[in-house]
Amino acid sequence: MTVATAFKDAPATAPQSGARLLVSTLERLGVEVVFGYPGGAIMPVYDALTGSSLKHILVRHEQGAAFAADAWARATGKVGVCMATSGPGATNLITGIANAMMDSVPMVCITGNVSTAVMGTDAFQEIDILGVTLPIVKHSWIVRNPADVPAVIEEAFHVARSGRPGPVLVDLPKDVQVGMTADPYGFSIPNTTAELDWAAIAEAEALIRQAARPLLYVGGGVKIAGATEALRDLAGRTGIPVVSTLNALGSVRTDAHGYLGMLGMHGTRAANEAVQESDLLIVLGARFDDRATGKLNEFAPFARVVHFDVDPAEVGKLRATHVPVIGDLKAGIEALNPGPLAIQPWAERCTRNAATNAYRYDAPGEGVYAPALLNELSLQAGDSFVAACDVGQHQMWVAQHCAFTRPEAHLTSGGLGAMGYGLPAGMGAKLARPDAHVVTVSGDGSFMMNIQELATLRRYGIALKIVLLDNSSLGLVRQWQELFFEQNYSEVDLSDNPDFVVVAQAFGIEAFRVDARDQVSDGIARLLDARGPCLMHVLIDPKENVWPLVPPGKNNAEMMHGDSRFEGDM
Amino acid sequence: MNDTIHIQIDRADGSLQRLIGLVERRGFHIDGMSLSDEGQTRRVQIKVRGRDAGRCMENLGRQIDKLVGATRVSRPVAAFTGDYRTEVAA
Repeated sequence: MTVATAFKDAPATAPQSGARLLVSTLERLGVEVVFGYPGGAIMPVYDALTGSSLKHILVRHEQGAAFAADAWARATGKVGVCMATSGPGATNLITGIANAMMDSVPMVCITGNVSTAVMGTDAFQEIDILGVTLPIVKHSWIVRNPADVPAVIEEAFHVARSGRPGPVLVDLPKDVQVGMTADPYGFSIPNTTAELDWAAIAEAEALIRQAARPLLYVGGGVKIAGATEALRDLAGRTGIPVVSTLNALGSVRTDAHGYLGMLGMHGTRAANEAVQESDLLIVLGARFDDRATGKLNEFAPFARVVHFDVDPAEVGKLRATHVPVIGDLKAGIEALNPGPLAIQPWAERCTRNAATNAYRYDAPGEGVYAPALLNELSLQAGDSFVAACDVGQHQMWVAQHCAFTRPEAHLTSGGLGAMGYGLPAGMGAKLARPDAHVVTVSGDGSFMMNIQELATLRRYGIALKIVLLDNSSLGLVRQWQELFFEQNYSEVDLSDNPDFVVVAQAFGIEAFRVDARDQVSDGIARLLDARGPCLMHVLIDPKENVWPLVPPGKNNAEMMHGDSRFEGDM
Repeated sequence: MNDTIHIQIDRADGSLQRLIGLVERRGFHIDGMSLSDEGQTRRVQIKVRGRDAGRCMENLGRQIDKLVGATRVSRPVAAFTGDYRTEVAA
């Protein structure tokens, strides 16, 4: 419930419009960048933006605004802001809002709407965007009075970032934007500091001491809670091996001793086998997603479960929990101290398995081997590397083969799996971290879904680097058709793609092509050294698959290793 | 089997739709419902039934607890005990 208080010490002010109040509230909240696109029903807000300290980035499609705001939030840990007009502007945000919801990203989406008097009459560009987005927002508001604007916006930011973060939507009818008020009021943030559940921590410690084969199963919640250092300290103190979800990659350095890799469908053999053998899963901010667990009732069959999460609804949702520790992950992990553990044989077996099954980059042939290219890309870029992935085979190769030293270095559409995320996400991340090597890794399918944002890169001189891995097909769908649909290749051929180098150049973006293995190192260097935005178009083998793979509906021990080039070795 | 959940919700845009949508989206039939006016808030009583055996009433309750401006004022029959260990399968 909104706890509203009048601005106590505010002097009597001249009447202001709702639109002006929106802009001044965003400024007061410290918002730096707003991604958006104007239109009829939000014109008073765009009028009020003139002269504001807010930097507005004009995207070329509202989906780009939502994805860029999402990535800004992931890269900075702050709330991302996007803005669109009513009707089609608002509906174009939807995929981006859903993306933020699935991955718990704090985002405030502001939409204009038709005036309250005509809401519900099918007015021009009227859409019930609050109704349309109900399942994919953490909360939403229609502001019906200009005086409410500051309180609603402040509450929106509070809801977006508190507890388990998520996207919120504020719908501003046009009459509320132009309406004048001299009595704006603010929102008092409720005081909700929760006590640490020391009894649960003690029970968790007892289970850890009893376990012979404990395992840390780390999810995206660790990064969100700012608990990365606490996790690394815990892993170091206890020597418990670590597996990571897609969204948590980098929470533990990918080269750290005891790190076994990603678990799940395209996870490592070492991670999946450790999970299947473990007798205690210590789950930190993860949610037993089906891509991580495989066949759920055969997942970690010998393990008891200790589950740390800020969201009580995740505990016991899919897997029975023996000890839940609900609350702030950072405080919970810092408090966890089970003392010395006698798990050395287990830990050594796990790390040996990881070493035995390490990925190899010596595939025979002269063509570009995408996993090797991505590994080298991350190593050349170093600690300031940030990958913004699209969705498909390249996304899984990034997850498997790039070195990550921080969780904020890997931006990926994990829960939603939204093709088209990569380019606008890279744009948002590069604006947030101008000094970092931000690289969008995309595929020829995904790239076409938001290719219009090349114009935004050019307009603002955003020095995003793009690696476009082109196999002239929808590779991951093709791979599944090969493996699970009897090679019935249906609607996956994209061999009539445009010339991406020419397309990028037409947008005013530097671009070049790499089509042989011996060009890869120089190509990466040229890409990273480019002063402005730059695209490296890489031709890869259309028959290349992502290995290993747990087939859908199978348990994680049933991994397929289909790469005959490494047969007998992997 | 039916359970009845009592919820107090703010009189805000979309609040009823948000609640009903959540219940159905999380895999429950709504078999009965009543609504009463309490000024700034509304009291809603919903009779719910899982679509299949895999639907956990306790989890639905916790999902409802996360709604902004909604408060469960009585627990479903499969009462929330405050002890999550009761959920562990034997």
